[in-house]
Amino acid sequence: MNNRLKVLRAERDWSQAHLAELLGVSRQTVNALETGRYDPSLPLAFKIARIFEQPIESIFSED
Amino acid sequence: MAKGLWKIIALSLAGVLAIVVLVVVGGVIAVLASDKGLIAEDAALLIISAVMAVLMMALSLWLGVAWMARIDEAAREAHKASWFYGGSGGLAVGGVFIILASTPPAARLTLPAWFDGRTDPAAYAATGAVGLMTLMLIGYGVVWGWWWLARR
Repeated sequence: MNNRLKVLRAERDWSQAHLAELLGVSRQTVNALETGRYDPSLPLAFKIARIFEQPIESIFSED
Repeated sequence: MAKGLWKIIALSLAGVLAIVVLVVVGGVIAVLASDKGLIAEDAALLIISAVMAVLMMALSLWLGVAWMARIDEAAREAHKASWFYGGSGGLAVGGVFIILASTPPAARLTLPAWFDGRTDPAAYAATGAVGLMTLMLIGYGVVWGWWWLARR
């Protein structure tokens, strides 16, 4: 699964650690999400969408 | 570190301390009871060891459950994968030794006595159990490390 997490985070000038704190996960998890090597659960995907104020499908897309 | 993990560590240390105190108090009572002939020394030692073992394992289980409840979902997935693939891998390796141990030629083997020089059946059973646990833990550690390295 592809995602625009890194772009969205960069647009807001947030660090991985800051995003991790907002999401309640570790920085390593944010890194794994951004590199596309870990797909989030639905609850975490909704949380990401809420934080970036965008629909899930505009953040995550199929390969 | 995820929220609440320091609290778990502090409570765990307090728990370990409480167990140590209980074991010392229980040990003193058992020694006094066996000195007065109220209970055999072996029985006293067994009771104290059993209480300590149950408390330690209960505390360990609680710690593991509380830890899993507080880490984030990716960390949880890493532990699940480690438990299944690493643990299963360790079991598979251990299974080879179990099968070999069940063959007739194994009855003539002289095995090293790793438990305080003891060669009784209980010591050998414990050696086998610890060996299997060690293999599973090695597998667990390898898969856990691989899981995170693959997601860097």
